Amino acid sequence: PTVVDIVLEAIDTRDGVFCAELLSFKHPHVANPRLQLSSPEDKCQQVLEPPYDEMVAAHLRCTYAVANHDFVEAYKCQTVVVQYPSLGGTFQAHKEENWALPVMFAVTLDLRIFANNAEQQLLKKGKGKVGDMLEKAAEQLMSCFRVCASDNRAGIDDSKKWGMLFLVNQLFKIYFKINKLHLCKPLIRAIDSSNLKDDYSMAQRVTYKYYVGRKAMFDSDFKLAEDYLSFSFQHSHRSCQRNKRLILIYLLPVKMLLGHMPTNQLLRKYDLLQFADVTKAVSEGNLLLLNEALTKHETFFIRCGIFLILEKLKIITYRNLFKKVYHLLKTHQLPLDAFLVALKMMQVEEVDIDEVQCILANLIYMGHIKGYISHQHQKLVVSKQNPFPPLSSVS
Amino acid sequence: MSREIHAKCFPSHCTRGGGRRQKQRCEGEAKSSVSVPRGTCMTMCPAYELRQRELQNRLHRFEVLTGTEHDRLPRADVSCTVKEYSRPAAGKDSTRATDLRPPDILLKTVYYLVDDIAASSTLHPWTEVYSFVFDRLRSVRQDMIIQRISGPECVAVLERTVRFLLFASYRLCGQPLRLFDSCINDTHLQECLSWLLECYREGQHQHQEEFQALSLLYNLGSAQAVQHVLELPGSVRLSPPVRLALAIGRAYVERNPVRLLRLARRLDFLQGCALHRHLLPCRRDLLLLYSHGHSSRNCRFPIQKLADILSLESSLTAQLCRAHGIHVGGEWVIFSKGSFTESLSEELQCAQMHRLLEDKQQDLTVSDIIHGVA
Repeated sequence: PTVVDIVLEAIDTRDGVFCAELLSFKHPHVANPRLQLSSPEDKCQQVLEPPYDEMVAAHLRCTYAVANHDFVEAYKCQTVVVQYPSLGGTFQAHKEENWALPVMFAVTLDLRIFANNAEQQLLKKGKGKVGDMLEKAAEQLMSCFRVCASDNRAGIDDSKKWGMLFLVNQLFKIYFKINKLHLCKPLIRAIDSSNLKDDYSMAQRVTYKYYVGRKAMFDSDFKLAEDYLSFSFQHSHRSCQRNKRLILIYLLPVKMLLGHMPTNQLLRKYDLLQFADVTKAVSEGNLLLLNEALTKHETFFIRCGIFLILEKLKIITYRNLFKKVYHLLKTHQLPLDAFLVALKMMQVEEVDIDEVQCILANLIYMGHIKGYISHQHQKLVVSKQNPFPPLSSVS
Repeated sequence: MSREIHAKCFPSHCTRGGGRRQKQRCEGEAKSSVSVPRGTCMTMCPAYELRQRELQNRLHRFEVLTGTEHDRLPRADVSCTVKEYSRPAAGKDSTRATDLRPPDILLKTVYYLVDDIAASSTLHPWTEVYSFVFDRLRSVRQDMIIQRISGPECVAVLERTVRFLLFASYRLCGQPLRLFDSCINDTHLQECLSWLLECYREGQHQHQEEFQALSLLYNLGSAQAVQHVLELPGSVRLSPPVRLALAIGRAYVERNPVRLLRLARRLDFLQGCALHRHLLPCRRDLLLLYSHGHSSRNCRFPIQKLADILSLESSLTAQLCRAHGIHVGGEWVIFSKGSFTESLSEELQCAQMHRLLEDKQQDLTVSDIIHGVA
């Protein structure tokens, strides 16, 4: 029997998982040259009913394109494959059935991957703009998502709603890649209001919380970011070192902003020693070391998109530095000049007493220092009780 | 046809035979590469449009032939008539070659709009000058889009457009909505900036540093704008204008308006225009921070000192303080976190606080500003 016959059998027996394998590029069948046909339409039409005939034919044309390393063509073929689940059609016609969800997962995943590869290929030739193909892929995925989200008829076990989180995660990956994070919002709302949200597989939930956590970071909602990213980190599978490291890259800056510094042991375990100097600098109030550390690993931090957030640690660093000054002078009426001297020792460029006042005013406003500045006496007067509240207690 | 020639005429996937759909795709691809329109109109306004607008009495007063202004149908002065922007509509063919201006004509049109209209010392009021130039520049961009023009002329046009819109955002600040809509100006400015920065991705561009800096200043506080610049090659990132813009951005993120305003004094006039809409909010923020940081009934803060760090005259400083509930007494203010009010005072407008920028403008002509002083 040919592969087309085997697909027919999988469809007839509603074996979604097996059917998905036959249409997925993760499965070894795609490397078989005998399957890589440029025009398999006739063969497919003989054996399969519409729309499976078109789907499988497009899939086989795709294997041909991939074998030729033509990812632009592969992407085009894959859009044909995904068309069918996305327009509802046969998938929506499976009323009260969701056996074909694995198929939807497999073909949408490949769509996103090919869109990525195709864009890379075009960019190398100097054509195409980053994000064009991914945006189109996202549109198709959104259609699939709507098919799943609007399934109100089936009972829980047979509902297509089980497909929602997988698709949302795929969409998140695209939106983050093309830097259109605002498009995540309606998806987050849809999942958060779903009664299935805690029942999806842990793997899917970990991925979901990772992206939502990163979005919260972007929105400067650090407490929320900490919650989500921590969940993601803790529930990540033990063997997925790479995933855990990826989550940590974003969790660490958030935790540092909330006053929790990582241990060197943790950093070494996950090969993230780039954060070691940053951590040391912030806890010591060492602005000089902080600037050096940020410059030294600039490329890494910029590539991960956390450089700007790490710069926010400067405020915490100022707070730690000034706290040291307070402890040194042992008085609650501190001359502003002392802070200026401290900043100059840290080789902060062109800072004057006016700026010192501004930095202190900001720290007071944010609740990091309890006190007030007297311009006339050129002093910072701090509260006799707990003038530098612990960082975790300040929002 | 020999196989070689066949293969050259049709991309490889077509020679594999079969698949009606594939052949159609080939033909579609071949057609689209031919159909990009190429303009042949050698005047600032296509002859057809000029005639139409003349007959319908729809010429702008800047386009009318001197001496015919009071005629029943004023005549068009061909050397002053410029193609206007027209909204795309179903059934309207905007791709006729005779109606489209090629790149060199578009650049000449822009020069005319800048030197003879925007920089004119005789055309008044400037709000009308602005509306005319805004519309005609939009039409220039439309021609560029239809013809898919890229390259040095495109960059030259966009650079001047950005400078014009930035200058206008300052020059017309405070004008009533019916004469100047800052939101619309902003939308077009952002579009042009995005397009220009996209052009800069390939090749070398003399003014790239200038515009990356302007984009950062205009979009103060935008993480996306900063991230974009951080990913640029070192030579651009480390250039003086970009470094200054980044430093101002950092001061903003660290919430240090004293530093921000001090660094802002180093900006040139156009950079000042780019930053200008953020200045009043920064000054307000400083007053908010000081209201909390200096909150004490027994302490007084000298107005002159406050005026210095705000880069404002002391009379305006006093006014700004009062508008925010800060007590002003003679030469002092008294800060109190309880009495600070966020409310935006109607009387106090940004336009009253333009001294910082006026000083920067000095002897610069409008022409200098828009074409870019060397």
